[in-house]
Amino acid sequence: MQAVPRPAEGEEPDLAALLVRVARGDHQAFEAVYGALAGPVYGVIRQVLRDPAQSEEVAQEVLLEIWRTASRFDAAKGSPAAWALTIAHRRAVDRVRSASACTRRELKAAAEPVAGSDDVLETVAANLDGQRVRRCMGGLTTLQRESIELAYYGGYSYPEVAELLGVALGTVKTRIRDGMIRLRDCMEVNW
Amino acid sequence: MKTLPDDIHVLTGSYVLDALTGPERDDFERHLEHCDSCEEEIRGLRETAARLAMAKATPPPAGMEQRVLSATYRTRQLPPLVSDLAARRERRSPRLSLARPRLLLAGAAAAVAIVAGLAITQHQLDTGRSGSSAISSVTGAADARSETMETSLGGTVTLVASARQGEAVVTATGMPSLSSARVYQLWIMGSSGARSAGFLTGTEPVLAAGLVPGDRIGITVEPAGGTSAPTTSPVVVMPLPA
Repeated sequence: MQAVPRPAEGEEPDLAALLVRVARGDHQAFEAVYGALAGPVYGVIRQVLRDPAQSEEVAQEVLLEIWRTASRFDAAKGSPAAWALTIAHRRAVDRVRSASACTRRELKAAAEPVAGSDDVLETVAANLDGQRVRRCMGGLTTLQRESIELAYYGGYSYPEVAELLGVALGTVKTRIRDGMIRLRDCMEVNW
Repeated sequence: MKTLPDDIHVLTGSYVLDALTGPERDDFERHLEHCDSCEEEIRGLRETAARLAMAKATPPPAGMEQRVLSATYRTRQLPPLVSDLAARRERRSPRLSLARPRLLLAGAAAAVAIVAGLAITQHQLDTGRSGSSAISSVTGAADARSETMETSLGGTVTLVASARQGEAVVTATGMPSLSSARVYQLWIMGSSGARSAGFLTGTEPVLAAGLVPGDRIGITVEPAGGTSAPTTSPVVVMPLPA
């Protein structure tokens, strides 16, 4: 009879195994999952939405969604982090698009490049992922990098990205894909 | 500017970045259903996008963790998808003629289980309706503390208690299922003995009320219907979390 041990600080928890336990209603396992994913989930949502209160609201929804749908996580389709962060990013983008559907976002007014308004970025600890992403981003062409940043961190659709960058739709589609493939190879993603 | 061929495959990158909008996203998802090479590419690019997210990890606001954890006690989880497993089992059956009656029997058993399940669910709803707001008031209390322990039979029990409200929510996970003749009975164990706080069924949370400092929560295996005092040694005894 003992408390379930928590992973030591800095130790990578086995998220896939934890999610299996979460799917069976294990609150303790969920706490560990929360510990590992809440930072990236909140961070990426904040990056897209900017507004702290709204970001917190969406992050809570996403984390609860992880609890609710843990049984649907399929390790054959990807890592737990990718599963959770896909949900998080899509939720944030949905929020942006439902808001802009009414007000039809002023593209020109919002055209501040992401790199120039990175207040959130600066507060982020210089973590390993951050360093690697920055290094790999440095290996892209300017158009590839800007397209990916506007789409992912900015939450813009690719037609909006094309408009912001003043290039053809087809160009943006290919630059995004080429850039992502180059990032994948640079980051040595094994999937 | 040169117009590129409108190749749907080129959308993999935009898709993983959520840069496709409504109808185009739907079209692409339909295409994905029978495009193995797209699926493989998307898997890799999705992991790549996840790295972009991890690079922006930001400590969430204080208090968010407690709010999310409390909400899990009020949120029912989705069941797993079982169709694949059922299909695989069916395929593995050596002879259909033999398999069929077994499947029919299984169907009949399932029907009985569903009827029994409905009865239980209705009962739980009836008893739970008044309890559910009490439960969320405990798990959402400012002074809520939680503790998790393993039981001697396996599985874990989690206690979320509010000392100010003198109440605790008890949830069991992964404890072995009992025959229909036995139940897990929950006890509030104080200086003057043990009093029953109800039964633990599955992972349904149970509210233990009227707690005073020094009380402990215990669980015993008892005959169906329960007893007025514990008759077996507890599988777990938990102090109220400090």
